[in-house]
Amino acid sequence: MEAWRLPLSSSIRGKLISAGYASLSLISSVSSSDLARDVNITEEEAFEILRLAKQSSGSSSCNGSRSLINGAKNAWDMLHEEESLPRITTSCSDLDSILGGGISCRDVTEIGGVPGIGKTQIGIQLSVNVQIPRECGGLGGKAIYIDTEGSFMVERVLQIAEACVEDMEEYTGYMHKHFQANQVQMKPKDILDNIFYFRVCSYTEQIALVNHLDKFISENKDVKVVIVDSITFHFRQDFDDLVQRTRVLSEMALKFMKLAKKFSLAVVLLNQVTTKYTEGSFQLALALGDSWSHSCTNRVILYWNGDERYAYIDKSPSLPSASASYTVTSRGLRNSSSSSKRCSHKLSFTRAISHNGSENCVSIPAFSGLRSTSPRTISSRRRNASTISRSLRPLVRAATVETIETSSASSLVD
Amino acid sequence: MQNGKMKPENLLRRSTANRKLTTGCEILDECLRGGISCDSVTEIVAESGCGKTQLCLQLSLCAQLPISHGGLNGSSLYLHSEFPFPFRRLHQLSHSFHQSNPSIYANHNDNPCDHVFVQNVHSVDHLFDIMPRIDGFVGNSKNRLPLKLIVLDSVAALFRSEFDNTPSDLKKRSSLFFKISEKLKQLANKFDLAVVITNQVTDFVESSDGLSGLRIGNLRYLYSSGRRIAPALGLAWANCVNSRFFISRSDDSIGKDRSEKDESSSSSVSRRAQRRLDIVFSPYLPGNSCEFMITREGICAVQA
Repeated sequence: MEAWRLPLSSSIRGKLISAGYASLSLISSVSSSDLARDVNITEEEAFEILRLAKQSSGSSSCNGSRSLINGAKNAWDMLHEEESLPRITTSCSDLDSILGGGISCRDVTEIGGVPGIGKTQIGIQLSVNVQIPRECGGLGGKAIYIDTEGSFMVERVLQIAEACVEDMEEYTGYMHKHFQANQVQMKPKDILDNIFYFRVCSYTEQIALVNHLDKFISENKDVKVVIVDSITFHFRQDFDDLVQRTRVLSEMALKFMKLAKKFSLAVVLLNQVTTKYTEGSFQLALALGDSWSHSCTNRVILYWNGDERYAYIDKSPSLPSASASYTVTSRGLRNSSSSSKRCSHKLSFTRAISHNGSENCVSIPAFSGLRSTSPRTISSRRRNASTISRSLRPLVRAATVETIETSSASSLVD
Repeated sequence: MQNGKMKPENLLRRSTANRKLTTGCEILDECLRGGISCDSVTEIVAESGCGKTQLCLQLSLCAQLPISHGGLNGSSLYLHSEFPFPFRRLHQLSHSFHQSNPSIYANHNDNPCDHVFVQNVHSVDHLFDIMPRIDGFVGNSKNRLPLKLIVLDSVAALFRSEFDNTPSDLKKRSSLFFKISEKLKQLANKFDLAVVITNQVTDFVESSDGLSGLRIGNLRYLYSSGRRIAPALGLAWANCVNSRFFISRSDDSIGKDRSEKDESSSSSVSRRAQRRLDIVFSPYLPGNSCEFMITREGICAVQA
């Protein structure tokens, strides 16, 4: 609980926080005289603060009597929680920067694109990267990979895992010189061991599995990412009753959302692209229809721009829409070679640390969210929306949007 | 569902045994990292006369090779919707196949064609009629090699005549694609089969909606015989396959060779035109290409 929820006058609260007493546990660990000296207030005031702190920590432990509804939080607390949430790096630092540091935990992220654009590659990369140990700036978690299409190829996972281990070794070697960090003991085989792979062959199996996930993850608390490749496949054959399909899908989406919040894990749903018939012409859109598009918190669209692969943030409550290029190499997802060379693999690891480390990191998701309402961005959004369908935008407008917005996103991260 | 739960490591152990089907050509295998993958649907896209049927015939013979030779030690089922089936060419290939593998066919009477089962398919409904029976066909393999390869040559022929270009028909068509693909993937997963599907091409027409020019995969444009083309059946079908390979004829060869009219007639032997196989997309292969020729003995890659 945060110190500044204490019912204090604003001047004392300000002094308290600027002296570094941000949390109640910090306050309650000192004596009133120490507190008075550190915060530069009278001892009576310090005593009062300690009394309040004790009271409110007591009340928050006895089931939150302060909140009107059980489980309700204020936005400030949630912001702090969000800042402290780790993100899963994509191994492509350009992509990480538009995502605010990587795929965020507690969220459902949908990634869609044409066949061969690299959806499965991103899925595999994330299931490997979630296991990067904490010492290297990762999550040290495990992954669940739900394969509905049969595209999960173990030889490819092994290849990406080997590259990831090599990068980590290089990184710890680099760390040794500076911090005397522990040697990372991770082998490609361990990485494969920590991916729970489910092969789903029909939509009934898919629904059953999603219902089972809660129990499975309760038993395997280390799971930090759930990847579904793809959510779509079994739902695109003839469903006579489209209403029923919509209901089943939104129920599934809700369950994923619950899992993400309950276990603080990232859910990544890969989606296909389809043509949509509107106003006499065919347009490109992510599959499963309009109601589905409300189901995910974040939506990333992958597309070709010339000979380069690009990712575009189509929907996100906290990130500005931006696009970044990436490539798929034999070692996995990486920065596009033509983009600036500023980020080596090493740097992307250190960057991951600064996101996860609590103190020196300014909240990127929050501030980029504020920034996205800058007039320039809004005008470009509006222009897009008015001229062409939202779904077609990344393919057609990408070039123009990207020039404006990548620059703003990257300047924030740096 | 509980049975489906496994760790990829278990899969890896299974895959080291052998999960790739050789194409019968070392160079081509190298390009494809061992050949056609099992438990996966591979599509071969090409205009007629490029050699997709040749490649499929060769694969259906190779499936019976022992695992030590890159085969799957299994039989193959060839579903053909393009008529007539090139029996004479299969026979010719099997003859040279027999000769080039003397260690396996010690007995002169062994015929490689014994392990290739051929079934004609003349409509989508017919295909749906056949597919459920494949389960029984695999299970009932006491006296022969287990089924390890299904070839569908070609999927486009099933759809090209029956459906109109109206939105409702297109919708119905694409839901059928997913149904076919789901069933084939189920079979592939259940019995660890390799599934190979061929597809035709359409000429690329610069149309107003601009979607037929949508880029899918590693190649920006697909060219064959000097024309820009697009795989048939569109985007929906592209979502149904795991890997897509594209075979094209090289431009300079069309002047010399105009006999592409009847690709299935086995009498026109050993065309020397150069053909190229490109990997359009695949979850385990990088973008790559390989040139090959079709000889009397079958497909034979040319070292770059």
